Amino acid sequence: METIISVLVDATLITLVLALAAFGLAIIYGLVGVINMGHGAMLTLGAYFTWATTTAGVPFILAVVLAALGVAIVGLLLEHIIIRHFYDKPFDTLLLTWAFFLIMTEVIKIVFGTDFRNVSNPLPGAIDFGTIKIPAYKGAIAIFSLLLIGATAFVFYKTNLGIKIRALIQNREAASLLGLNISRTYKFVFCIGSGIAGLAGGLISPMLSVDPYIGNVFLIRSFFVVIVGGVGQLFGGTLIGSFFIGGAETIFALFSKQVFAQSIVFLLAIVILRYRPAGILKKS
Amino acid sequence: MTEHSEKQWIESAAAKPRNIFSEEIVAVIIFIIIALLPIFITGYPIYILPQYMLFGVLAMSLALLWGFVGILSFGQAAFFAVGAYTMGLAMQTNFGVNSGYIGILISPLVGGALAAITGYFLFNAGVKATYFVLVTLALSIMIEQIAVSQSDITGGWNGMYIDRMPLTFGSLGEISLYNDIPVYYAILPVVIAMYAFVRWFATSRFGKILIGIRENEDRMTALGFNISAYKTGAFALSGAIACLAGALYGAHANFVAPSLGGVLFSTEVVVWVAIAGRSSLLAALLGGIIVASLSNYLSTVTPDYWQLVLGIIFILVIVFLKGGVAGAISDLSKHLQSKVKQ
Amino acid sequence: MSSLLRTEGLTKRFAGLIANEAINFELDTSSIRCVIGPNGAGKTTFISMISGHLQPNEGRIYYKDQDITKLNVVKRARIGIARKFQTPTVFDELTVYDNIELAVLGTDCPYNDRNKNINEVLELVHLTNESDKPVKFLSHGQRQWLEIGLLLAVKAELLLLDEPTAGMTVEETESTARLIKNLTQEFQLSMIIIEHDINFIRDLNAPVTVLHLGRVLMEGSFEQVSANEKVREIYLGHGNS
Repeated sequence: METIISVLVDATLITLVLALAAFGLAIIYGLVGVINMGHGAMLTLGAYFTWATTTAGVPFILAVVLAALGVAIVGLLLEHIIIRHFYDKPFDTLLLTWAFFLIMTEVIKIVFGTDFRNVSNPLPGAIDFGTIKIPAYKGAIAIFSLLLIGATAFVFYKTNLGIKIRALIQNREAASLLGLNISRTYKFVFCIGSGIAGLAGGLISPMLSVDPYIGNVFLIRSFFVVIVGGVGQLFGGTLIGSFFIGGAETIFALFSKQVFAQSIVFLLAIVILRYRPAGILKKS
Repeated sequence: MTEHSEKQWIESAAAKPRNIFSEEIVAVIIFIIIALLPIFITGYPIYILPQYMLFGVLAMSLALLWGFVGILSFGQAAFFAVGAYTMGLAMQTNFGVNSGYIGILISPLVGGALAAITGYFLFNAGVKATYFVLVTLALSIMIEQIAVSQSDITGGWNGMYIDRMPLTFGSLGEISLYNDIPVYYAILPVVIAMYAFVRWFATSRFGKILIGIRENEDRMTALGFNISAYKTGAFALSGAIACLAGALYGAHANFVAPSLGGVLFSTEVVVWVAIAGRSSLLAALLGGIIVASLSNYLSTVTPDYWQLVLGIIFILVIVFLKGGVAGAISDLSKHLQSKVKQ
Repeated sequence: MSSLLRTEGLTKRFAGLIANEAINFELDTSSIRCVIGPNGAGKTTFISMISGHLQPNEGRIYYKDQDITKLNVVKRARIGIARKFQTPTVFDELTVYDNIELAVLGTDCPYNDRNKNINEVLELVHLTNESDKPVKFLSHGQRQWLEIGLLLAVKAELLLLDEPTAGMTVEETESTARLIKNLTQEFQLSMIIIEHDINFIRDLNAPVTVLHLGRVLMEGSFEQVSANEKVREIYLGHGNS
């Protein structure tokens, strides 16, 4: 019983952390249709910004906010200089964002070095529930992840801005007839998605050792989260996808090494992608 | 209907393979130069060049996919690494005959089978080209992770030592390949043979059909071609070649580590091919050799900035020069030809 | 003589909308049938179900007395059903010759006969002189012919032509009508042709099936159809064609 509960709690925590990591990608892919291969680099960049600012003495929360802003600006520049000219060529945006990843990784190496960096945990310790202990920081991040997704869903469904964006996604022509500025909205969405990726990178940074390649594995996991959950299913899809990827990883890790478990999950995700290309809940 | 000008034709023609008669001649000249190099140069360059030639073959295996079928794989290095591990495992086993030969025979079968299974599974369902990129990227990560986690077999992080095979001729004796010159002249003919084979393949019926699929899948389907079978075939061949090149690489380098199959190396191959020109097999082969040599040289001089420059060149190529260097050269020659005609 | 193609109660619905309803249709070998009807009558849907691009919700399709309802596009193409799309679907970047060659590669034509076969087809569709041109430099009419050429080169027996004269000049249209009649007479090919161009249909002088709101309104000769009150009404009523 205890193991079942602890596995469940573990799976839930991993689900929510993964959802946070994948959310920026889900927004950019789901809303503007760009497969952002630079997502991993944005996470990494967020982590390094957080490391640099906290090391300089900035309080953690502020550091994470600064990291999100910084990555949002980087995303804005990327969008403005390159991506906006290629929205109608998804394959080119894939290659271009991949090049962004390559360049960003090198820039990070040049600026921050290749050594492992550690961001000190702002909430050390664990909350004791008797049978199980939950690491305080991981728990806080899980709750924040839920809140962030919930708040974004609120903006998306209940505010004017959200309605405009949804109108635009559903019908570009009609939206432009209604006087919505398509290119500005795309830019905004790309920027927000980048910012959320940076935020996620910053928030995740205390949980692992930061090196220039930490975004790599998160990139592929995030993609599978988005594809398994269903592209465009920003909120429920991201959570379901994360639950599948994170949950399965937790369960398989009980029986095998962590890295091997990840490979099995990737294999499962590929199988899902083949039979349910529109997501696990939708029959194409 | 949009009118196309002659200039646009010349420009867009860059992005696709054409029957350039002269490519064979260029290839012959280049192979002769490579064959003569050991006369003029000795030492490290001659030691390392066979490895770069095999990188070139790896790049060519990608060009076959990307340039001819229009499918991009971010996992070519995975096959390369699988080939090297296969060679390593073969060399550890006593087959009663030259284990190296067994490794060379088995590795393309392993790579071809792995690619065929993956390809059949995905293409048959009509998986999108972008998703195929993601899956091959995942394949690369998985191969790296498996190589790390199955340390009993692969040596894990520490990698695997691979003994260099000798060249045996049954009762006629054998040639040791431990010296640079013999191994150079053992690998070069294989590289030339692989180039010739792929080049022949690209102009065969199968190759022409692949170009048709790249140009218009709907039309090919409506003409009765089973395009998923052809794509699977192309991916299998590409995987087999990458795997064979990897086996030879492993034998030459005497070593394979998980990172050889990893994401970074896989996508480096994409960069080589994009810069060299995906439309030309020879360009990809040379691109692999040249960019890999440059990378190796410049990484010792200025490791970080070189990668950065490579990334920027990659962007510039995608934005301005779809056909890569080979495309630019073929444009230029066409342009000059049309000038001469006028 | 038994029919080449027969459909029974062919029905296709899109999200509740009925595109085709209970279409019974029959076509003899070596014959032409024109399918007309106002926009939205379900003509392209009908052809798509025959070519295999769409699966019917109900009904069956028989080709040479075999039930082919479940066969996919590739298999139907292999047994001789080939389609020309509404917008010419050819290989724009390749030359005219290479286009036809690709189609010939889909047959069991031996290597040595390929060139001869390709040239024959080029001759038939009047593209011999354009053989080395990239397709994107062709006129709209020539592209239509090229696509018909592809269908000939794969040795299709039933050609489904969706608006073959769209974008053609008057002379080109007339020449296309001659080509099509010639093909049916000389090579025993059969065709289902969707058209809007009344002059073209008159030139073909073939039986006409009129579709309206997804159903067969009437079938008959060109004279019968053009004299029919209802047909006049739906065309005038919708104010097009």
